Order: sequence, then structure tokens, then C-alpha cells
Amino acid sequence: MPDHSPTRRLLMATALTLPWQSGVKAAMPKGGIVSLDYGLASTLLALGTAPAAIAARADWDTWMVEPAMPEGVADLGLTAEINFEVLARLKPDVILSTPFLASLTPKLQSIAPVMEFPIYTPESDALTASYAATRKLAAALNREQRGEDFLSRAEACFDDCRRRLEKLQPPPVAVINFMDERHARVYGGPGLYQGAMEKIGLANAWPEKTNYWGFETIALEALAVLSADARLIAFEPLTPPDILSRLDQSPLWSNLPFVRAGGVSTLPGVLMFGMVQEAMRFARLVTDHLESHA
Amino acid sequence: MPPVLLRLLTPAGVAASLFLLGAIFAVSDIWPDLHRLSGDGAQYDVERLMLLYSTLPRMVTALLAGAALALAGALLQQALRNPLASPSTLGISAGANLAVAATMFAFPTLEGISRDVVAMAGSALAAVAVFSIGARRGFSPLSLVLAGLMIGIWCVAASAILVLLNERYLSGLFIWGAGSLSLQSWAVPVTLFPKILVLTALAGLIMRPLSLMELGDVSAGALGLSVVRLRILAVSIAVSLAALVTSAVGVIGFVGLVAPAIARLAGARRIAQQILWSPLIGAGLLLLTDEIVKRLSDITGGLIPTGAMTALFGAPLVLFLLPRLKAMQRELPAPPPGIIKQRRLSPIMVLSFVGLLVAGVTAAILFGRAPDGSWGLLPVGEWTEILPYRWPRAVAAFAAGSLLGAAGAILQRLTGNEIASPEVLGVSAGATLGMAVALFAFTASGPMLQLGFASAGAAVVLFAILSLGLRSGFTPERVLLTGVVLTAMLDAVIGVLAAGGDPRAMMIIRWMGGSTYLVDGFTARIAVVCAVVFATMAILAHRWLTLLPLGAGAARELGVHVPSARAALFILAAAMTAAATLIIGPLSFAGLMGPHLAREIGFRRAGPHLIAAALAAGCLMVLADWVGRMAAFPYQLPAGLVSALVGAPLLMVLLGRRK
Repeated sequence: MPDHSPTRRLLMATALTLPWQSGVKAAMPKGGIVSLDYGLASTLLALGTAPAAIAARADWDTWMVEPAMPEGVADLGLTAEINFEVLARLKPDVILSTPFLASLTPKLQSIAPVMEFPIYTPESDALTASYAATRKLAAALNREQRGEDFLSRAEACFDDCRRRLEKLQPPPVAVINFMDERHARVYGGPGLYQGAMEKIGLANAWPEKTNYWGFETIALEALAVLSADARLIAFEPLTPPDILSRLDQSPLWSNLPFVRAGGVSTLPGVLMFGMVQEAMRFARLVTDHLESHA
Repeated sequence: MPPVLLRLLTPAGVAASLFLLGAIFAVSDIWPDLHRLSGDGAQYDVERLMLLYSTLPRMVTALLAGAALALAGALLQQALRNPLASPSTLGISAGANLAVAATMFAFPTLEGISRDVVAMAGSALAAVAVFSIGARRGFSPLSLVLAGLMIGIWCVAASAILVLLNERYLSGLFIWGAGSLSLQSWAVPVTLFPKILVLTALAGLIMRPLSLMELGDVSAGALGLSVVRLRILAVSIAVSLAALVTSAVGVIGFVGLVAPAIARLAGARRIAQQILWSPLIGAGLLLLTDEIVKRLSDITGGLIPTGAMTALFGAPLVLFLLPRLKAMQRELPAPPPGIIKQRRLSPIMVLSFVGLLVAGVTAAILFGRAPDGSWGLLPVGEWTEILPYRWPRAVAAFAAGSLLGAAGAILQRLTGNEIASPEVLGVSAGATLGMAVALFAFTASGPMLQLGFASAGAAVVLFAILSLGLRSGFTPERVLLTGVVLTAMLDAVIGVLAAGGDPRAMMIIRWMGGSTYLVDGFTARIAVVCAVVFATMAILAHRWLTLLPLGAGAARELGVHVPSARAALFILAAAMTAAATLIIGPLSFAGLMGPHLAREIGFRRAGPHLIAAALAAGCLMVLADWVGRMAAFPYQLPAGLVSALVGAPLLMVLLGRRK
């Protein structure tokens, strides 16, 4: 269940009722780098290179918000089922992928060399893996210096957030996405949000372990373990959109100590399966938010 | 059996034991915190809140939902004279779920639409579809259930396409489909209770007339009973009960089948007894299951949806109940061999068919959309670059479709059942589970690894069909129902995985959607070879296909060794299905539609029918693949899902016309 952006709706309408509308516009340049992963695409932008095409371009604005993806970037279709015809016509120089898409690799290799970046694996936490992947990508693009610059910018951003938060003595924070009116995903473990929280010295209020993607699906009553001073941050998009007013009708929810203390907030979306840019965005958003509520 | 145990084996005893067990769990759950309820709640007490607003409403909801579903099952079984009938086996819950999912998808906040009404409309629609198929076979219990389970599988497939188009945020729909009972307030049980109460009262009112129906339709009619009206009323009550529960908490599978079955096993012979005890047993059963699920959930730390678990354990019961069915099933004559418009294959027709076919596949390969979305023929200059991405898909779709079409034709003749479909042999479910193992056991699983595991899964089921079949003499219904039950259990497993939200579950669902996406030239050639070899074998077996539908006795007279002929045909159909599944996934329904299209065109004799069915199904898949590639370009829809979505309604139309 979904985001409900106009683009997505339009796409749905196109898919289900009006199969004869055209999807993409503008002739595409040849060559360049293609990314099948949002995190890798935004890292590319951070390194000063725009990709020639990315998967699921149509959803970028909903899930990434920033950095803005330049206009001319082509859409390759769904991540797990990118359109090979479009890709082959682009004649890219290199394709950036992840182990999650390993089943596509042989076919991709017949189009262009494939670079695989493991970020979400059982072996490593996401932020550490993202740093390594950023360096590897920068090296492959002969932009080592830009890569290091970017990573020191990231460190500086995290340090800045950490200093600002130290003054506040921030509460422990739990980060969730609502799945429906009774369930949510809560983040932690080896995930990206957790990595960013550690960088900026924020304690995760969610005590339990998660899967290696860094989240766990829970029923909302499980949030009762959160302490009274905890702050619950729900990232958009909210599903269903009126979830918070619905929850107010639940005595359990409205009596939870952190809810009573007004410790629930929503923030614009940050891709949970992103890389360093998304960790920075997360850190900035959360720090700004905590400062404004201090 | 010791006398004490024997005494327990009454409906009351069983219901009491279930309640007792459930209560032991439940009380052990709430006992430590029970004293907190007497507190005034002035200061914050999280245990008290949890008990009051989560644990207790969840228990009450389990009891209510269990009772409602069991009552629905008992009513359906009585009204339809079918011990296999239930909201799950007749596709009623799945229909409600699909309707709710589609509505929530279009209107996330529901914007004033009543979820109950939507659910009722969906389940009523599913019921009408199932009954209209069932009516054609005189409501034979097996046909009805087969139709119901097929509709159920189709509804699951249709919800999947909603999800597939929405890559990142989908678990909400899956949690609904898998039936989670977790609650944070009394809203659900409080609104559910009066509705169930009213329907239960209605059921109580028709209990006496329903009892009279036990005398048989004729005698009941003689007593002044409108049997048809009574049936419709009973079924409507049952459908409403199931829809309300689904609308409140999602799909809770198979409780409505299991509870009345337990009641009967425990000795509730008369209808009044069954209608009284089934809900009580169902309530106890769901409470007990949910308590166990809660504990499992605590151990694994993840969300385990209760409904998927009840389906996982309830579905196999269909097979257990099957022998009981024999006694009360009326033997139905096979459908009359069609002599209405027999068509012979003249050389000109063969040539024109082949010509059309080649033209169609070529068009599917050459006509399409450029990267800017405009339509047109592929310029010759781009052939070397682009064709390798197109021809294998079209060719493999055709090969896989025709494999399924031929397998479907074989199965429909063998079972004398017009909605027998190769997808429900269980081979596809085996392949899908193999695929799941590959995805979850390895961090990065390449296409070969996935294909290997999927083949292994299909082979295991194939072997199971063979060994189980040897024991039962390959009774057609038994083989089919085993497959359908396997598929229902697979749906439950996938439901648990998907509700947790693991991205790998999405990969499985995508694969289940049946995409020719990963087919390359090599795979396409293998598919063609498979299609040719298997189809030749099937054509060689056309004598069996002509004789077996005449009935086991007649076939034996004519010199066919029935068990080995059936075994050979089943294994052939299963092997064809396995090969096709690996290419276009488990959900295409092409094998169901091909034979019907062929019959519609006028091919009735075994040999020509088989060939025409294969070709028709092949064309259907090519078309589905093309539509899937073009409709949302550059986004792609899986061919299997496209063909299932379009094909199933088409099939209903075809069946309706042939009345």
C-alpha cells in the first residue's frame, strides 16, 4: 500500500485502463552510467555525475525527495524488472546494481559491465557498507577525491548534528513507517537509520533486534515497550493517510506514555534502503526536528 | 479407547476441551496482570493498558471470528450438502479480501465507503461465480470446491498485481490477506459482535426448515418447503458472516472448514447439533490457534499472521475429508461428448492456422514501443540490438502456453472436469517453494540457482503425485484436490513471508506473477524442444484420452489398463506443467483457457482438441506477454498475471455461453 502521488496514480491508470498512452518522453543520449538502485543513484549525484537512467524513476520524488533527479534521466521501469530494451538502446558504459538483483546480472552483463555493491547483506551494517561502496564507486569513476570530499562532508554533517543534539540531551528515538492501521515497520539493527543514529549520538528507543534489512514488522501495541520520554518518528508516506487521527480513537494508543507526552511526529520520507546521502538527510531532518521540539 | 476419552468425543466434549486449552493459554497470558484491572487506571500502567486494549479485545475477536466463520461453514455445508464447503474452499473470503484490497488501493482512507459493504459485494460476487460454475455440474461437491479454490487462487493473483505495481510499500495489503488479529482497541469486536449476533439469529430461524432438508429435497418440498429459497437464504447468511469477518480482520483461512468437520467427527450428526456446536468449536479453535501464534511470534520476534497459520494447518484437512465424501457423492455422468459441431482438420485449415500463428508471433515481436513511448515496427537497423530481448520472450511464452494448453486438455479429459487446470496440480506450488528456498538460503541467487531449486521443488511434488497416486489408483479428483490444497498452503506460506515485509518475498511474488522476463535465447530454445517433445507424446496418447472419459469400466472393456494409463497421463501433464511453470510462473490459467477456446472453435475429438488447445493457449500467452510489455511501458506487467486477470473472466463468459 502505497504512496499516492499523482505520478503513481497516473501510472496506475495508464497500466490498468489506458494502455495506449506514452510513458517516457525525449530522445536519450547514449552512454553514461545506469543505476538500478536509488541509493547508488543518489551517491552518483553526490559524486557530481548524473546517471543516464535509473530504475523506477517515476517514484524517485516520492521516496527520495532530495537530491532532485535531473530532468533528462531515463526511466528503466520497475527495479526488479527493468526494461532491457530501453537499457540496451542506451548503450551504457557501466551498470550499477546490488546483490538483491543478482538474478538479472547475466543479462545485464551482455549489455554493459555490471558493478555490484553489497549494502544490505547479513555480513555488514548498511552505513559501513555504504561508505565502502561510495569509495569503490568513486574509484571506479576516477573521482577518488570527490568521493573523499563527499564522505568528509558526511562526517562533518554527522558531527554537526551530534554537537547540536548534545546540547539538547535528546530523548531516545523510535523510527517507524505505518503499514496499515494496526501494523508498522520499526527500524534498527544493521539498518541505515540505526547507523545514522549512532553517528549523531541518538539512542534507538526500539530495543528488539531486526532482520538484516534493518526493520521488523510489528503490531502497533508492541510500541508499548517504548519509554515515556521516547520520541516516535513516523516517516511519510503515511498509510492510511489518516492513520494518526484513527489512532487517537484507540485508548491503548492515546494512553501510551510517549503519546500522552506528545512525543509523536511525522517527517517527510527518507529512503530506508538508501546510502550515505539518505543517512545525512535522515540525520538533518531528525536533528532539526528534535531542536524545534526541544 | 479408554471410556473417559470416549466420553470427551462428543461435540460438547470437544468444544469444551478446545475452550479449556485455549483458556489455559489465555489465562496464563493474562493472569499475572489480571489484578491490575481492579486498579482505577489513574496512573499509567502499561501492562494494564495492554491487557485491557490489546490482549482482551484480541481474545474476544478470535472467539467471535472463529464462531462466525464456523457457523458460515456449517451453513454452507448444510445448504450445499457438501462437507468440503466453507468460506475458504468456496473462494468467498478471498473475494471479500480482493474487493477490500482494491478499494483501499484506490481510496486509501476509504472516503466514506463502508468496508463491510465492499467486502460483502466481493464475497457475493465470488460466490455467484463459483455457484454458476458449480451449477453446470449439478452442484457436485468436488466441482464446487474445485471452482471455489480456483477463484480463491485467482483473487490472490489479482491482489498481487495491485502490489506488484507498487514496489516499495505493499505489506499492508499482505497483512490483510494473511489475517492478523492484533488489535489496539475494542472497536473491532464491538462493531463485529452485533452484526454477527443478527446473522446468528437469522441462522437460528432457518434451523428447523434446514433440518427438514435432511429428508431430501423431494420430501422437504412435499412438506411445503421452498428448498431453493432456503438454500439461497442460508448461503447468503454464510457469505455475509465471512465477509464481515474478512472486512474486520482479514482472511482467516479454513476455520470454517475445520470446525464443522470436527463437530461431525465428534458425533454432531443432526443439523441442529452441527449449527449449535460448530461455532463453539470454531471459537475455541481460533482462540487456541491465536494463543499459539502469539507465543510463536514472541519466539521469532516477527509478525506471524494468524489467518495464514490456520490456512496452513487447515487446508490439508480437505484431503482427510475426501474419503468421507465418496459415500455421499452422487456419481455424475461425464459431460456428453460434443457432437454438436465437430470440426475436422483439413490441410487448408492447418495451413491457415499455422500462418496466422506465425504472423501473430512475428507481430508480437516486431510491433511495440520505442523508448520514447511511441508505437511502431522495430526498424531493421535495430534488429540485432533489440530482437534478442524480444524474440525469446515471445517464443518462450508461446512454448510455455502451449505446454499448459496441452496439459490442461489432458487433465480436463482425464478428470471429466471442465475447470481442471494444470496450475492446480501442485507442481507449480512446488516450484515456487523451491524458488523461495533459493532466495532465502543465499544472499545473491543467480538465475541458474533459482531455476535449479524451482525444478527440484517441482520434481519433489511430481514424485509425491506419483507415489500418492499409486496408492489411490490415480483417482482424478483426488490428484487435483491434492494440488489445490498444496497451492492453498503455498499461498499461506507466502502470506507469512510477505506480511513480514522482507524484500525477498516480493521477488517470489514477482516470480509467481509469471514473467518471461528472464528468458534468454537458450531457455527459449529449450522451451520449444520441451513443447514439441511433450506434445508429440500427448498426441500419441490420444487413444487413452478418447477412451478414459467413457468411464473406467468402458475403458477397461476396450483394453486400456486404466491405472497405468491415468498414471502416464498425469505424469505427462505434470511434467509439461513443471516445464511451463519454470518459464511463466504458476499463475497463468492458460492451461485452463486453451482447451475451452479450442472447444469453442469446434475441436472436440481428443487429438485435434489437444493440438488446438495447445496452440490457443500458446497464442494467449504471447498476447498476454505483449500486453504486459506494452501496457505500462517502460514498466512491465508479468505475462502470467495479465493472462490470469483477462483469462478468468473470459472463461466465465465461455462457460456461461455453453449452458
